[in-house]
Amino acid sequence: MKYAVIKKEDLNKWVEHLKKTARLYAPKKKENQFIFRPIKDVNEITLKYIPTILPPKKYYYPQKEKLFRFKIKPFKTAKAIKAFEEYILFAVHTCDIAGIQCMDVIFREGPEDPNYLNRKDKMTIIGIECLEYCDKYANCTSMGNHVPRGGYDLMMVDLGEKFILHINSEKGERLVHGLAYIKEADEKDMLNLERVREAKKKVFKEEFNASLIKVYETFDKHFASKVWQDVGRRCVACGNCTNVCPTCYCFDVMDEMELSLNQGMRYRIWNSCQMDDFAKVAGGEDFRKGRDGRQRHRYYRKFKYPVDKFNRYFCTGCGRCTRTCMAQISLVETVNSLLAEEGELR
Amino acid sequence: MIDREILLAKIKTTPYKPMKGKIIEARMLTEKEKFFRIELEGKINLSHEPGQFVMVSIFGFTEAPISICSSPTDKGFFDLTVRNVGVFTDKLHKLGRGDIVGIRGPFGIGFPIDNMFGYDILIVAGGLGIVPLRSLIRYIMHHKNDFGHVQILIGCKTPQELLFKEETKEWMRRSEIRMNCTVDRADPDWHGNIGLITTLIPGVDIIPARTYAVVVGPPIMYRFVIVELLKKNIPDHQIIVSLERRMRCGLGKCGHCQVEGVYVCQSGPVFNYSQLRSFKGECHEKAV
Amino acid sequence: MKKQSKPKVAFFDFTDCEGCQLQFANMGVTLLEITKLVDIVNFREVMSEQGEDYEIAFIEGSITSDNDVMRIKKIREKAKVIVSLGACATIGGVNGIKNRTPLEIAKQRVYGEKKETVNTIIAMPVHKVVKVDYFIHGCPIYIPEVINVIECILMGKPYVVPNYAVCTECKMNENVCRYEKDEECLGTVTRAGCNSWCINNGNRCYGCRGLVDNPAVDGQKDILLKYGLKLEDILKHFTLYNDSVGEKYDKELK
Repeated sequence: MKYAVIKKEDLNKWVEHLKKTARLYAPKKKENQFIFRPIKDVNEITLKYIPTILPPKKYYYPQKEKLFRFKIKPFKTAKAIKAFEEYILFAVHTCDIAGIQCMDVIFREGPEDPNYLNRKDKMTIIGIECLEYCDKYANCTSMGNHVPRGGYDLMMVDLGEKFILHINSEKGERLVHGLAYIKEADEKDMLNLERVREAKKKVFKEEFNASLIKVYETFDKHFASKVWQDVGRRCVACGNCTNVCPTCYCFDVMDEMELSLNQGMRYRIWNSCQMDDFAKVAGGEDFRKGRDGRQRHRYYRKFKYPVDKFNRYFCTGCGRCTRTCMAQISLVETVNSLLAEEGELR
Repeated sequence: MIDREILLAKIKTTPYKPMKGKIIEARMLTEKEKFFRIELEGKINLSHEPGQFVMVSIFGFTEAPISICSSPTDKGFFDLTVRNVGVFTDKLHKLGRGDIVGIRGPFGIGFPIDNMFGYDILIVAGGLGIVPLRSLIRYIMHHKNDFGHVQILIGCKTPQELLFKEETKEWMRRSEIRMNCTVDRADPDWHGNIGLITTLIPGVDIIPARTYAVVVGPPIMYRFVIVELLKKNIPDHQIIVSLERRMRCGLGKCGHCQVEGVYVCQSGPVFNYSQLRSFKGECHEKAV
Repeated sequence: MKKQSKPKVAFFDFTDCEGCQLQFANMGVTLLEITKLVDIVNFREVMSEQGEDYEIAFIEGSITSDNDVMRIKKIREKAKVIVSLGACATIGGVNGIKNRTPLEIAKQRVYGEKKETVNTIIAMPVHKVVKVDYFIHGCPIYIPEVINVIECILMGKPYVVPNYAVCTECKMNENVCRYEKDEECLGTVTRAGCNSWCINNGNRCYGCRGLVDNPAVDGQKDILLKYGLKLEDILKHFTLYNDSVGEKYDKELK
């Protein structure tokens, strides 16, 4: 079975079933925004949501991750996490799935990161395809992430009366197998899916004023652009853009002692390249001074460096950095200003 | 080689957990720099390349990247020399013989020794730059017949700040090595050169195509030294530098050491000048 | 191993509400844990003994009189380590409001006819008078940070107060931004370290921990613009804690 269907009225039943197989994280409302949370009551889940404040990365790359326990005297280290638990990320947007794919690339590259890989190993992803824009901040179409591009176990698409599920892995198959209310999709369902996708093409338009390859070339040429000065002038270096980014993974290392002062835990915590002393060495030299250079670095880490290294853009198009920016720095506007500058130059 | 495999396996399975390293010797070299000789648990050899670094852990004080200043040909131990500049290094300075530190590594890419076989070597060390270069110098001493002429230029602010005084005297005595020292400010006992290290370069006698220049020093020094080396017509890829950055993980993940798209902890800290030239503007050491 | 004698700790208050000491006293079991590591010899809020022999002095409150100046200097002579405890001690705190008015007028307003009998000077944070070794910001202090600082003192290592904005911690806690709820919040320019305590609990940031070293003034103005706020709106909150000499208030309003 490659595609399955479930009637909307059976959805809660299925989610209850999922809850029994593993810990379930899904989007729910928080005040006027949305967040991923462990779900107790299936009615809390919202399937129609703008990207959550933090992407689900907090579950596979936690804000503060235990690395190991230590003892000073006698010198000893021990595992910090005994066992990682199975979990399901439910109703994940395609942009956030693209984010997980980016993280995979980073943490699989040697030396591999066992913490991430262990968590990834226990993860099941059930995606949901957006049929309309979440809000004006997204740039998923330009990034090509408005449609599923793999990286999930199941993908749900709303066909009106029912959801069609694309089964993309054995793990996904197991979650729909043997349930009377989930049936194999028939020809009519497949036609419906095609019709939905066709309709979508009219809604989703590229947000950048040029193709992605053109964007890449522009970044290559405009390292010294005035655009960066402008962005730097507006930035307050709060670090929001990097915290909410599904593909930002910089961290710092810290030790926390117990009151015995002989035992403690080493952690890694999220850190941001937008912080003042991010690239400062003990001797005092700051290798990336100024908010302009630091903002440029953030953009280049999405549109240039990872493309050179992995042939992959690290912007997923989720729009979170723009949505959360205190100073109204818009990713789409920044990229389009660069493109405009390129146009003038030519 | 077995030791190397043990260490690589450790980085692969438990990359964040340090090994136990015992300080078997510790002494102040100058007012600010302290020398440590460290033995790994089980006396395994660090099996590093000259120019690589280790992450040193003190529990409660996290970690810091420290370059190794002994040669892999020094077996059974390795040496570090550390300037007291911050919270971590201050604590490290308080440790002495018999104390334990955590060690991860070795990390990064060292000096391209294999490429340097058969070439003449010009070493330019400014200030603390002599620390990682000592690993290379000691390696060359132990394999002298693999290399051509060796010249060493050392510069520091004052004679008191000169590191490895006894050793440098010994290097001076060796006939197959030419050595020259300079200080920015002399004292009455100083009989050597006075002035910046860049003033020594025009006078060195080299055949550029046959020479590898290896430069390590404070960021500001590189630009000026590299200009002098380029004037001597040494090809870009034969000018070797080592970059200091704020490595926090050593694994090419944490982001702190990044210069544009490059993680210095994994792709460096050693680079050649043609690599440096490909940076667009974030590399402070690039000559302008 | 030889058992070292525990360092002696004393608490002193100057011009303050004693709320930070109260926070300390409210630590409960943790306070008992701490007393295993240090001897508290002087802590008016929890005990009657008043030892005058101490190594570590926690100072709560701002310096606001000539007598305060003399007293804190004496404490400095005795103590090996001085810790500024709470916003009044670290940045002047709410006491700074007094500095906006000329001293004579302030005296008249507060003490009326008796103003001549009262000695008062401009309110100052402790480090304006004596050297301070550790800073515990906040109004009131945040207990996990206090414990962290005590550990640092005992381990002989400096405590580095974060130099990034409260926003950073607030986002990690996945709070809905206060600006999204049409409230002014000082998280963007205020030093972190409190784990965005207030916002986690539905409040906004009042800037009680002081400013980051390098606040972005231009950017901050953009933020006000974006949310349709006036400079005065934010100054009203901003100067509550962060104006120990009255400079910011006057300058910006002019």
